[in-house]
Amino acid sequence: MNNGNNIIEIRNLKKSYDKGKINALNGLDLEIKKGEFVSIMGPSGSGKSTLLNMIGALDRGDEGSIEVAGVDLMHKSSLNEFRSTEIGFVFQMHNLIPNLTVLENVEIPMYETKLSSKEMHQRALELLKSVNLEDKIDQNPTKLSGGERQRVAIARALVNHPSIILADEPTGALDSKTGDIILSLLKELHQKERVTLVMVTHEPYVAQMAGRIINVLDGRIESSNLT
Amino acid sequence: MSFISLVVKNPFRNKTRSSLAIVGIAIGIMVIVALGMITGGLKTSTQSTLKAGSAEITVIQAGSSGSGGFGSGSINQSRVADVQKLSGVKDAAGTLRASYDLQGSNSSSSSGSPGGGLPSMGFSITGINSDKLSLAGVDSVNGTAFTNGSVNEIIVGKTAAQDLNKTVGDTVNLYGKDFKITGIFETGSFMTDSGAFMSLETLQNLTNNQNKVSSIAVKINDNANTTEVSKTIQDAYPNELNTTTAAAQESRINQGLSFIDTASWAISLLAIFIGGVGVINTMIMSVYERTREIGVLKAVGWKDRRILGMILGESIVLTLIAAVVGTVVAVVGVEVLLSVSTFGTVIQPSFSLDIFLRAFGVAFLVGIIGGLYPAYRASRLAPTEALRYE
Ligand SMILES: Nc1ncnc2c1ncn2[C@@H]1O[C@H](COP(=O)(O)OP(=O)(O)O)[C@@H](O)[C@H]1O
Ligand SMILES: [Mg+2]
Repeated sequence: MNNGNNIIEIRNLKKSYDKGKINALNGLDLEIKKGEFVSIMGPSGSGKSTLLNMIGALDRGDEGSIEVAGVDLMHKSSLNEFRSTEIGFVFQMHNLIPNLTVLENVEIPMYETKLSSKEMHQRALELLKSVNLEDKIDQNPTKLSGGERQRVAIARALVNHPSIILADEPTGALDSKTGDIILSLLKELHQKERVTLVMVTHEPYVAQMAGRIINVLDGRIESSNLT
Repeated sequence: MSFISLVVKNPFRNKTRSSLAIVGIAIGIMVIVALGMITGGLKTSTQSTLKAGSAEITVIQAGSSGSGGFGSGSINQSRVADVQKLSGVKDAAGTLRASYDLQGSNSSSSSGSPGGGLPSMGFSITGINSDKLSLAGVDSVNGTAFTNGSVNEIIVGKTAAQDLNKTVGDTVNLYGKDFKITGIFETGSFMTDSGAFMSLETLQNLTNNQNKVSSIAVKINDNANTTEVSKTIQDAYPNELNTTTAAAQESRINQGLSFIDTASWAISLLAIFIGGVGVINTMIMSVYERTREIGVLKAVGWKDRRILGMILGESIVLTLIAAVVGTVVAVVGVEVLLSVSTFGTVIQPSFSLDIFLRAFGVAFLVGIIGGLYPAYRASRLAPTEALRYE
């Protein structure tokens, strides 16, 4: 099944919660090419976040197969290293650590790498520059605006050079103007860093930014259309 | 920022809660250090007390309370020479002990009070022949010793000299008479060093105890056995003389000290338990509040082991801060307490490394015990659950 161009290959993936009462993923099939920008849409509860969590190896499926960046996630024993090197998450809520500075927050994913404190500092600084926050590096995240926090979260997601960025409603908590800034930033980074970007959204005009829109319904792919 | 800095920084997020946990453990550590300093001080002090007296046996009046070996009865002075003649006895010195209230300046009873020598119970004066001073533990005098029969010469212990603010050549008024301090001695025993010695005859006259001594200090022959000589003395004068030995005193005092030791260990254990429960509670609350954050740490690739290490480390940071606080408060507290109370001259608090190692060891242990369960819970959180947590 391995097509060299696909960074994500999912076959008949099933995931249920509450002892099988809730079927979040219902035999889902999906292929995403390396460097693609894909939007995932669908009603609330249709399984979008669950799908993203499976791709990001935050949880394991019950049945089927899932291979991401060449790793068989159904059988790989410890997933933290995969998450550390291959995946960058951007959540709806920024989830920054409030007692750390902006720069220290961006350094957090690098603790599992072999970088020295100095190298960590430099890399975090580099990314904060690319999201235009170099003047806020020593600030506390609680003092930032929603858009600025989300930019810190994007810098944090990119800091370990991941091959895939998984963004779960990254603009969901922002006003539309700030949301647009975040989206264009994501798109710019996707092009510049040649990273695969998978973004969940429920707003059609946001989804239009991607190269492909996937619709999820009841834990399955309902449609997949190039924009 | 290094991982260690992160671990040190985190406990300060909720300052109130962390402070409360720190105070709880600090109190336990404070008790451990304070008790350790005081019992340690008592130990060294009693050890030198016992070593100082070169007399192995103290003879007291039969039936008198001989606790402490200083005697509260009285013995006819002629018995000193009698005891000296007994086999196994190398030397014997009659001593009369009196306690004099310097503040009130009125003479108190002769023969002293049992365990006399505590400054709060009066100034302890011992009458002895100056050539027998070594039997009372005084081996050297800074200055000169008093002359036998002299009615106005006295030597005082170092602690007493400090308390009275006197040096060699000064006078001290006792029983309405001025005594010249001819010398100052130091034996290392708190009881002896806070008292004074004068001519036996003079003290007998001053306290109306002519030809009476309160005890006889006996030094035995090098090859003699303390128990045997004690028995010889008791058998020679049954119902009249009784004996106590330094060894017996030592075991009595050691019994008391080992009780204090046990008590302080029991208190330490209690402190570990209470402190441990406090730390578990604090860290569980901290982990609970940071559920989402722990989910994020897992999402960015942190190993379970690193999360475990972070929470455990935070717990140890809390208890080590408590150890520092508790130790400082204990040291300052003991010093202040001793400086304002009369025990100050009696107890030299011990600053042995042992006590501080114990305090930090206990704190470290409490940190690990208290942090282990919360850290384990945090490391086992399912990332998706943690991220869904509101
Ligand atoms: N950890 C979980 N425990 C129980 N039920 C869950 C869990 N995660 C998701 N679900 C359920 O699975 C279904 C799909 O959820 P989700 O993937 O979050 O949907 P979406 O992101 O599309 O809104 C929902 O019914 C949701 O309640
Ligand atoms: Mg969702």
